[in-house]
Amino acid sequence: MAKERNFTEKEGYFGDFGGRYSPEILTEALIELEDTYNKLRKDKKFQKDLEFYRRNYIGRPSPLTYAEKLTKAWGGAKIWLKREDLNHTGAHKINNTIGQALIAKAMGKRRIIAETGAGQHGVATATVGALFEFETAIFMGEEDLRRQKLNAIRMQMLGAKVIGVSSGTATLKDATSEAMRDWALNVSNTHYIVGSVIGPHPFPTIVRDFQKVVGDESKKQFKKENDKLPDAVVACVGGGSNAMGMYYAFLNDKKVKLYGVEAGGRGSSPGEHSATMLFGKTGFLHGTKTLVIQDDGGQVVPAHSVSAGLDYPGVGPEHAHLHSSGRVKYETVSDQGALDAFMEVCRVEGIIPALETAHAFRFAKDLAKELGKKKDILICLSGRGDKDVAEVARLVGLSQGDLI
Amino acid sequence: MSAIKSVFSDSKSAFIPYISLGDPNYDLCVDWADALIRGGADILELGIPFSDPVADGPVIQKAFKRALANPFSMDTILETTEKIHSLHPHIPLVYLTYFNPIFHYGFEKFAEKAKIAGIQGMIIPDLPYDTPETDELFKSLKRRGVDLIHLVTPATPLNRMKGIRDFASGFIYYVTSYGVTGERKSISADLEDRIKTTKEVFSLPVSAGFGISAPDQAKEISQYADGIIIGSAVQRIIEENGSNPSLCRKKLEEYAQSISGSLRGKNR
Repeated sequence: MAKERNFTEKEGYFGDFGGRYSPEILTEALIELEDTYNKLRKDKKFQKDLEFYRRNYIGRPSPLTYAEKLTKAWGGAKIWLKREDLNHTGAHKINNTIGQALIAKAMGKRRIIAETGAGQHGVATATVGALFEFETAIFMGEEDLRRQKLNAIRMQMLGAKVIGVSSGTATLKDATSEAMRDWALNVSNTHYIVGSVIGPHPFPTIVRDFQKVVGDESKKQFKKENDKLPDAVVACVGGGSNAMGMYYAFLNDKKVKLYGVEAGGRGSSPGEHSATMLFGKTGFLHGTKTLVIQDDGGQVVPAHSVSAGLDYPGVGPEHAHLHSSGRVKYETVSDQGALDAFMEVCRVEGIIPALETAHAFRFAKDLAKELGKKKDILICLSGRGDKDVAEVARLVGLSQGDLI
Repeated sequence: MSAIKSVFSDSKSAFIPYISLGDPNYDLCVDWADALIRGGADILELGIPFSDPVADGPVIQKAFKRALANPFSMDTILETTEKIHSLHPHIPLVYLTYFNPIFHYGFEKFAEKAKIAGIQGMIIPDLPYDTPETDELFKSLKRRGVDLIHLVTPATPLNRMKGIRDFASGFIYYVTSYGVTGERKSISADLEDRIKTTKEVFSLPVSAGFGISAPDQAKEISQYADGIIIGSAVQRIIEENGSNPSLCRKKLEEYAQSISGSLRGKNR
């Protein structure tokens, strides 16, 4: 007879979401990872090492910038930027890969693999692969390789093998499936560095813990500067790691409104967006129970976004929980809205943001007007947009002549 | 004793081929099932196509892609199953499915309809035993006499096997190698010992799958395994010959005969 079992948050559930729904061949590796991480998180040497790399390699703490020009241009609330774009490798992704590389080292793994959409997680993984001398393989959809050529080249220069994935829609979802297959084959010597707060337990917890430095620093910096907390915090959400890292410090500060911005793409029909919170239903994808964009038969529908980093048809299970509990409000911004915001932030503030972050900017523009001048909005500037310039130039019709 | 368990005996090893339903369409896969059963299948595994099959290799991924080019509905899956069952009511049918499509359909309703369609067992590679949904599904299937068949792998330690034991029935699907489904040339050296241990822990028949394709491999493993599961090699025949249905039928039947004939107890 089946024994009664109790599933608690400790075991990787966030309300109704989360858990470990992966093939049996991976389960022991996930348990080993969980056990190792639980020991390391309390280990002073590990925390000291992590702090060392954060300070001396990533360049933390990243600054908090008052965006005076944007504030003026938008004519509403004050805009503050948490500058994850100034981290080494140009995005928040390095916070997680450094941490997971240290775990992989502690587990004695010689090889690391990762999936990547926009390539920022791939670059961050290739970087720690070089730094810690791991054999490194990065799975990337063929369509994303086209869109994010610069990052694919960076990964190769850093010594990683970049493996193009042509199955399915040849984007992040399929790269993730392929990375899981590789891990199943090489699980004894390989650690899979999952790049967002997705995947089977313990990944959503581990990635959140390594990203929560973003929110912790922001809170401290904002308080020091303003002697108060921001009124609203805005971050873009694909899988949701920069957002989760940012929100975590503010979850108990009920007066701080939290917003997640998903990719509304080019329409509301299936396949035209990545708006999981709006259109997703509870389901099982890539080892976790979460909200998933799926059809009437329970088949996962391909997602779309102008930003390769956001077009994922699922979302981290903790986000699904924060959505259902109402603590975080999730909104959408269209491809065009993101492109407009991208160009505006470049020209007004002198910062080229990642296309992912451009979604957050576009939403914040409206929010700034709504909240008014006495309020403060903190935006997580999750990464820089160098990787996106060729694609954006193509999409907005900038020719070389225009650029001179 | 469940219908599935009764297929197994000490004197012979069972042949368990697999096909992906809907590849290349729902009518023809009834023919494939018929050919495999006529060729000697003792149990037939029917794959429910899924968009993101993380435990499957390229052959079955492609089969699912071809299947999903047809309009997918669980009702069509169930109707097709019923057709196969009515052709060969004595051959147990087992679904191999990822969890999302059945969760989405509602698994109480699914369990009921699957049982009526002739299903006697379920294999769900992405539903480990230690989840709340397994508790619920196990009870739902058990009420209807449908077996929940679990996977045990080279990476599954003894303590985990003991946990799985409470939720397993029918037979154990022993995964012979690391990785995903697909044909492989070599078989792990300690396979016999691992299968022996698995049999001792579960007191259930143990069938071996993942990587088996050739009659000589099947023959060797059947000396100690209670059953041989073959998926990708069967699916490859469909991939290569599906556009010529009569040839495909013939090849499937011949292949099933060659495997079935090579198994312990079948070639005497």
